[in-house]
This record gives sequence, C-alpha cells and structure tokens, in this order.
Amino acid sequence: MFFLYELEKTIQLHPSYFGPLIRSHIHRELLTKEEGSNTGKYTIVCILDSFEISDGQVVPGTGYAEYIVHYKAVVWRPFRGEIVDGVVTSVIRAGFFVDCGSLQAFVGRGMIPSEIKFDANATPPQWTDNAEQVIEKGTQIRIKIKGLRSEMDRMYGVATMKEDYLGPLVA
Amino acid sequence: MKIRSPNDLHYPITVVDLSKQPKDSVERFAPLFTYYYESTVTEGNKYGDEKEVKKKFPARFDSSIDGQLVEWYIKGGSVIHGPGIDIVEIEEPCTHETQFGGLCTNCGKDMTEVDYITDERDIDRATVNMTHDNIALLVSQREALQAEEDAKRRLLGVKRLSLIVDLDQTIIHTTCERTVAEWQNDKDNPNYDAVKEVKSFQLADDKLANVAANWYYCKLRPGLKDFLDKVSTMYELHIYTMATRAYAQAVAKIIDPERKYFGDRILSRDENGTDQIKTLHRLFPVNTDMVVVIDDRGDIWHWSDNLIKVRQYNFFLGAGDINASFLPKQTELVTAAAQAAVVEPTKVGRSKDEKPSAETEALSIAAKPTDSTPKTNGAFSELEQQLISMGGGDDPTLLEQQAKEQEKVIISQQTERPLLQKQLLLDQADETSEVEEIAENGDVPAPEHQKQRHSLLHDDDNELEYVEACLRRVHHAFFEEYQRKRTGHQGGRVAELRGEKSPKKRLPDDLGNVPDVKLIMPRMKRAVLQGVSIVFSGIVPLGMDVQYSDIALWAKSFGAHVSTDITKQTTHVVANRSRKTTKVKKAARYPHIKIVTTDWLLESFSRWERASEEPHIIEVDPAEHGPHGASAGGSPFEDLEDGPLLSAEDDDPVITGDESNEGDDGEADEEVKLDMSDEKWQSLGEEFQDFMDEEGDSGEESETDSESVRSDSSTQNRRKRKRSTESAESSEAEDSDGSVSSAAGTKLQKKKKRALERTTSLSNVVTADKSSGLPSPDTTGPDEGQGDEDNGNGFVDDIDDDGAALEAELMAEFERESDEEDL
Repeated sequence: MFFLYELEKTIQLHPSYFGPLIRSHIHRELLTKEEGSNTGKYTIVCILDSFEISDGQVVPGTGYAEYIVHYKAVVWRPFRGEIVDGVVTSVIRAGFFVDCGSLQAFVGRGMIPSEIKFDANATPPQWTDNAEQVIEKGTQIRIKIKGLRSEMDRMYGVATMKEDYLGPLVA
Repeated sequence: MKIRSPNDLHYPITVVDLSKQPKDSVERFAPLFTYYYESTVTEGNKYGDEKEVKKKFPARFDSSIDGQLVEWYIKGGSVIHGPGIDIVEIEEPCTHETQFGGLCTNCGKDMTEVDYITDERDIDRATVNMTHDNIALLVSQREALQAEEDAKRRLLGVKRLSLIVDLDQTIIHTTCERTVAEWQNDKDNPNYDAVKEVKSFQLADDKLANVAANWYYCKLRPGLKDFLDKVSTMYELHIYTMATRAYAQAVAKIIDPERKYFGDRILSRDENGTDQIKTLHRLFPVNTDMVVVIDDRGDIWHWSDNLIKVRQYNFFLGAGDINASFLPKQTELVTAAAQAAVVEPTKVGRSKDEKPSAETEALSIAAKPTDSTPKTNGAFSELEQQLISMGGGDDPTLLEQQAKEQEKVIISQQTERPLLQKQLLLDQADETSEVEEIAENGDVPAPEHQKQRHSLLHDDDNELEYVEACLRRVHHAFFEEYQRKRTGHQGGRVAELRGEKSPKKRLPDDLGNVPDVKLIMPRMKRAVLQGVSIVFSGIVPLGMDVQYSDIALWAKSFGAHVSTDITKQTTHVVANRSRKTTKVKKAARYPHIKIVTTDWLLESFSRWERASEEPHIIEVDPAEHGPHGASAGGSPFEDLEDGPLLSAEDDDPVITGDESNEGDDGEADEEVKLDMSDEKWQSLGEEFQDFMDEEGDSGEESETDSESVRSDSSTQNRRKRKRSTESAESSEAEDSDGSVSSAAGTKLQKKKKRALERTTSLSNVVTADKSSGLPSPDTTGPDEGQGDEDNGNGFVDDIDDDGAALEAELMAEFERESDEEDL
C-alpha cells in the first residue's frame, strides 16, 4: 500500500560543495541516496519537492557540513493479506518467484492450485494447467501476500494464488 | 513431531497429570502436563537455625509447537530420568519444509522467532539450498530428496543425464582488453580472422571505482554451437561459474540466446556460498549419480569422480581466467610456457615472464562485500566452512586485497594491453627475420611478402569435439548399464507387482537400479592409461609435490602410475622438448622408456584413449648421452656412470620440483669455494670434455686397475646404506670411515663420495621398487647402482693421476651444482 510519509534525513556535505548551489546539491544527494531505498519496513518510492533544510553545521574535526532535511515521500509498504501484482522472475520445481516492486515474493508449491502442475521439460520451465494459465518467467501475476519478514535493507514475502481471482493476468 | 524431554529440566521428574488427550488440538504455550521434581533447599527458622530440607516442587510443561496431539508416551506417575526421552507426538499442520527468507512458504510464519520455549529452531528444519539463482530459498532434507528423485525420474524418462558446464576457459574465453575491438575493426590486421567472431558486452552493475563501463570480449570455443546442440540431446545442461551473476547471464545470452540449452539453470559466485570451491552438493544435495561436470580446473572440484577435466581454452594469450582471482591460485605448469613455445617461438621469453605475474590472475568484476560472509547453505557443513576459511578464503582483509588487486589488474590490462604488446613484439620479430632473410638472399623481397605478419591469436582449438565424444561415451555406457540392470530386475519386479505392492513403493526400487556415473566414468578413464608408469621431468615447478600436482592427479585419474624416479616399471618420461634433464638422459638409455612431451598426455586425456606416442617423442641425440657412454657400447654399467658427470654439464637455469628430488642433501654443506665466472667455467667444461673423451678410450683398462683398490669397501658401504634409512650426513661419515683412501686429497675424496651418492640417489631403484610392492633384489636396479659406483671409483682414481688442474675443475663443477640445488 502507498503512503505519504514525513521523513527526516541527515546529509553530510563535502566542503567542496559549499557555495551558491548548495541547495541543489543537497537535493540531488537526497534523491540519489533515498529514492528507491528500502528500510526493511517500506520502500521510498518518490520524494516530493517541498522539503526543508535546516541550517548547516560544520562537523568538528572533518570540515563536512551536516544538514537535517525534512521531506515528504511516497512510500510503499506491503501488508499481510494485501493483494499485489507482480512479474514472475524465476520458475522452479518448488514454486516461483515474483517481483512486486521492491518486494521479492515466493509462491510455494502448496500455495498454487492443484490443477496447475510443474512442467520441467518445457523450455523455459513452467507451471501450467495445460489450458490458458501458464506461469513462466515474465508472466504478470496477481498474488496475495501471506507472510512478510524484513531485514535491514530488504523484505522477504511469501504469497499465495490459491484464492479467487488470483493467478496469471491474461492481457 | 515428537517432543522429547529437553535438556534444561531438573531431572528426575515425576509426571502428575496429563492436561491434553489424544486428538486434542494443542496451541503453542499450552500446558501439556504437570509434574514435580525434588530438590534440597536450605531452610531457616526464627532462631537462626538452618537445615537442608528435601522438597517437592510442582511445575508445568508447555508445548513448543502447534498441532493435534497424536499419542502420549508417558502417563501420570511415570518418572522421566533424563533428557531425550519421548514424551508426546504432536502432528503439526505445517512442517515448514520449504522456507523463503526465513518465512515458511506454506503457512507464512516467521521461522526466525526464538523464545524461551523454543526447542528446535524452525529455521533449522530447512537448510538445503538447491536453487540455482536464489540463496534465500531453503528446503528440508526430505524435500530435497524428493525433488531430486523427481528430477531423476524425469531425466531417465527422456534419457538424459545432467551436465554441469563451467564457463571461463572451458567453453569460452574472455578478456577486457580493448585491443580486441580495434582488431575487429581493422580488416588488415593479422588477427582479424581470429577475433571477428568475438562478442562483446558490458555489465550494468559493474561498479569499479576507477574503471568506467568495462567492455568484455568473449570468444566462444570453436565448435561450441555444435557441441551444445549435440550434447543437449544427451544431457540437461547447467552453468556453474565462479563469475558474478551478471557476467554469467551476459555470457549465457551470447552462447544461448534462445535459452534452450541452459534455461535458468545458471549458478554463479553470488549463489555459490563460497569463493573457493565448487561442489556438486550445492545443486544436487543428495545424489550425484547422474551428474557429469566439465571444467578446466580439477582442484576446485577436489578432483571429483564426476569431473571431466578439459584442456584450458586460452585464446587471448595472457588473459587467463578473468574470474579466477578468488579461487586458490593455480599452480602454473612449466608446460604452459613450453606449449607457447611450440606455437610461437618468438614470444617464449615474454610468456614465461608473464605467466606468474598478475596477468594470469586477471581482472574481474568488483567483489561484492556480501560475498565474504558465508551464506546459509546446507550443503556446506560447519566444518567445511571452517576449513575453507582456515585456508584464508574468507579472511576479509584477504578478500579486500584480492579485490584491490583485481582493480589494479583491470587498469593495467586496459592501459598496458598485453595483447597489443605481444603482437607488436611479434611484428618486430617478423621484421628482423625478414631483414635477415634479405641479408641472406641478397634479394629484394616481393611487396606482398612484406605484408605477411604473423597473427598472435589462433583459432585452432578442437577440444570440444573430444569432450563431446567422451560425453557421448559416458551417456552410452550409463544407459546401457541402466537398461541391463533394469531388465535384470524385471523378473523380481513383476513378482513384486503380483503381490500388493503399491506403485509408490516400487518407485524407489526403480531408482535403485540407476547406475552411478561416479563408478562408470572412472572405470572408463582408468582403462586409458592402464599400465603406464610416468615420470615427470622438468614439468612440475620447484617446491611442489609431484604426486599432488595437477598434471599428476590428472594422469592418475586416467589410471597412470606416477613416480618420481625412473624405475624398471617406468614406461614414459614426460618432459619438455627444450630441456634435457638428467632424467631424460637417463631414460634415453632404456629403449622401452618413451620420452614424450606433455602433449602426449594431454592428447590422451582429451581423447580418452592412449594416444600414439610417435608425434610427441622427444628425440634424444645419442651424442648427448655423453662420449663415455657412447664409447662404452651401451652396457648399463657404463651408461649410468654418466649421471653425475653430465648433470654437471646440464647447466639448466630452471630447477624443477621433480628434478630437485635427485639432489642429495649432503651437498648443501660444501666446504670448498671456488670463484668461477661463466667463461672460466665454460672453458673448463670444454677441457673436461676433452678429458672425458680420452678417458673413454682408456676406460677399460683403468677400470680394471682401480676396481681392486676400493670397490670392496665401498660396495659394502653402499649396501649398508641401502638397508638403513639414515640421513645423508651419517652415511657420508660412514663412507669416509669405511673407505681407506689411497689419495691424500681428502676434500676431493669427499666430493667423489658425494658424486657417488648422487649417482645412487639418481638410480634409487630400491625405494621405488619397494613402493611398487615388488621384491627389489631381483631387479636390475641395485646391480646397476653398484656397478656404477665401482666405475665411479675407477674413474675418479684416474683423475687423481691426472693432476691438480683437473681437481680444480671437478670441484668447480660440484660447487656449481650444489649452488644450483641450493636454489
């Protein structure tokens, strides 16, 4: 789910950047470092333009200047039970992997409807019910998140497609 | 799951009451039963008296898992005396067999949670990683077994085996030098034909600090397309490389654009778990009966029985394996230089210099810091990981160092461009030879003649054809045996089926008939060089155990016997064409010993059949046997005497490990020092040669004279030494005691002794024979040694007669020799 979230970030700037363009430097630094990063709980999707930069303070001993930036950003945080769309990245016997934005989710064998079977001899290998549902690398798919775990800078998810209206999206 | 009595209770405990009945559902933390235990406590009363009292304490046992209670193994009143006793069986709704990133893929629960009640961590239930491209997905042992059986059945159904293919230097060769691109654009370049097929690519996530987007130039091994086409009908192909994932995928895109050969079965360093070795258990954790590996390096596979080692593909000379920096350094054979010599004599000097330098180590993609941490991989036991890290592999500082080194090398490759340099050198050589030609012929060369430049790169490798043939043979042998086994069991199985065996029970039986590649392949390979006994000479670098050198291990895997000294059993001496070592010369005297180059071995290895020795024979000129030997008419006594004398002339700058065995330890403590320049030495050598010629003529008579003088005493000594395994020093002392010399010059005498010792250690047949398990006295070896020594005495006595000048010469010789050996 997407949220608008207020965040704070401390940015250290090298003395060589001190000058009239200092604001734009800070802005760039903020964008390159923060956008797309994952805190483990959520991913920062987009930083909004209105942000507040505190007065700089020179760090004793180094010469770097420290700025505290308050900004608003669109963040994405997955929840258990949420239904998400993603792209299949890898298909194996034990299930398949789905990329849902910054979250990598795995759909295990037990989470796949029993009529969809694994076919290892196909190239590339696929899960299929020998009808219109074919899950192979690159397939767009709708899944429901069953469990989440976060580490420092990444999230793991397990998902299911064993419910109504889940499964490959037929264009 | 059974719950057993845990370690941390106060045993013995007595069960009071069971709180749950079979078929009850049990939640985590729910009480299962109550019990009491007894303990002594110190109690005081109001008067300050203290006494020890035995008391009963009631307590509660909580369930550590969810599920339905199946069966109790205890009842009210039973006493549990210690840990490890079955208490209750609880059936879990989910056994967490497959886990992804610490989450069970079936129930979505977090497996990493640990609390006071946790008996066994859930995360330990699934520890096997058998996915090619993911390290977060782990499965349990049972699940892995099942997956593998499925895969096996599927492969047997389509009559295929699994083949693991290495990339770098096995089926492709990659360099980063942009000279290649320039050559590709220059149609006039002599290398144009060779490089025009080279594919190039860039890696997006290549983030070396100082090197911007880096181009990789990838040359496919000739015939690769054909090879993959044919082999993929017999094998399911996997890529297993020590390169990064991005690199592996880029290469896979080049060699398999439609992804029909490899699919997604690509395993790279990022998923391997260790940088040091490759192991089949990473992909096939339970069973490797149907797996064949092709790789150019045997050491990282620990010379597994599944391995077919192929000849290194070295197209861009000097580039080496660009992804090998994290592997243990490969010991470079002296052969490598020799091979280059065959191809292009003009650059031997350079390639010899360059081989050990950083260039072979080569450039690669920056080390990702995550690589240094050992990943959770069930296939590696703790011990193994530890062993690996003990070898220095996981040392972070070392890794950093390696990464830095790579960076340095990448820059040097881009700036120095060894290929270009080599080509320039080659061109220069061509020019000079042309100039010489002009000078010789006195003619003006034709204009097109001038344009003729030698090309540096040669696209003439045909190894893949042989590899394919070998793979075909293995495939054939495997399924032939499988068929035979199956039909053999058919009767039994039919009978079984008549009974009420379910098909499920039959299936494992079916797989029981699967033959083992690990048995079939070695059997086929061992037949290749059966009965061949090899001595390496001038091949294995100094300071290396010959028996454990790559080439020796390789030869052994083909059934050859490798020994360090020439014995009666020796059938082949493998040597360098350019270097006539003592062993080669010695072997040349026996017509049954074939002296061959390593090419013979390599050809046999790659074809899996004993190649004809003819094209690889090293001709040893009879004149080189030494004039003495030649004049003596080939009697073994006479011949072996040449050993010490010739070894002195054999002023070889490179001493190799296999040669150094010949030296005697006792020679290290040389007392006499003679300052000899090379020129002096040479003139002395000539003089000595002259003398030798003379001596050869008068050899017969002088021998008979001298034999009487000392032969008795010294042969005695010799025998003693043979029996005892004492050090050289002590035996030397014995020597000087035993032989009452006629001459006064004791120093020279010592030298002579050493010379004798050297001779015998050279033809140290006794020990070698013992090792081969044959009775030694019958062999000709000891006799030769003896006779040789007798002659030696005779010969040295002659020198005594000849005067002081010769004495000096001899000393100088020995001096020089010992110096060399000290190196």
